[in-house]
Amino acid sequence: MAKTILAVDDSGSLRQMVAFSLKAAGYDVIQAVDGQDGLNKAKEKTVDLVLTDQNMPIMDGLTLIKNLRGLGSYQKVPILMLTTESSDEMKAKGKAAGANGWLVKPFDPKRLIEVVQKVIGS
Amino acid sequence: METKTLPIAELRKLLAAVSDHGKQHLVEVEADLLQTTFLLSEAIEKLSSSFTAVHEAISAQQQVIDTLVAKYAIEQPILEKLDAYKSKIGDEVNVVITSLQFQDLTSQLVARTIKRVNGLKDLLHELESHSNEMDPGHEHEEIVKFLEEMSRSLQVGSRALSGGLRQSVGQQDMATGEIDLF
Repeated sequence: MAKTILAVDDSGSLRQMVAFSLKAAGYDVIQAVDGQDGLNKAKEKTVDLVLTDQNMPIMDGLTLIKNLRGLGSYQKVPILMLTTESSDEMKAKGKAAGANGWLVKPFDPKRLIEVVQKVIGS
Repeated sequence: METKTLPIAELRKLLAAVSDHGKQHLVEVEADLLQTTFLLSEAIEKLSSSFTAVHEAISAQQQVIDTLVAKYAIEQPILEKLDAYKSKIGDEVNVVITSLQFQDLTSQLVARTIKRVNGLKDLLHELESHSNEMDPGHEHEEIVKFLEEMSRSLQVGSRALSGGLRQSVGQQDMATGEIDLF
């Protein structure tokens, strides 16, 4: 059974590129348009990996991670940030919030798949 | 004895002109930026949709090729050529996916610029409203006080504007970003 990844980003084009790359590698992808939407969808179905942007309206990525880590079912689920932010300060905040990794945009689909496979397997 | 007076009416006129002209130009800048956002958004939508359609067609074509290769004896040099094309298409697809992320980066930069433009409009408005408080009948010290208040207010507004506009996109090109696993 294919593993499911929740992709959270307010940019439609970015979500499309992430979904395209992950589906081509055999993963199921659920898309969310911001942190709040991501949280709601994560509650509906526990996914195998969350890939989230940081700067989004309504709820940002760090707040989403903190909320997810507060849910029993998401304490061990890997969460990766995929964002334009590249400062050490933001990465430290992400790590403290409970992120397992930090990917700076733009992403290379091949490398994204490698990281995802490393984190949750094929 | 000669009395030195500030040319208040002229000063007010100057400040009003700076504010008016500045705001007019900023309105134009904002309109251009919004139009740019709209065009970029429409372009990425069409590019993404065409890219997906082209990729689907190429995948279907590849399946036909695979069927033909399995059914007929194809010469080795032709098979090698087909493999080379397949590999080249795969590499180019990756480059396209990376490049199509430009809209996410540019829209964040444009949004930040629009916020700054709006902040500048507010600052110019403040300049005008402060200058309206000055009157030629005011004493020299009162005018100085008005000007100092105006300067302070502009400084505070400018600092607040910069503070609320954190740079979130430092990328200078479309090279892929770094990856850190914690």
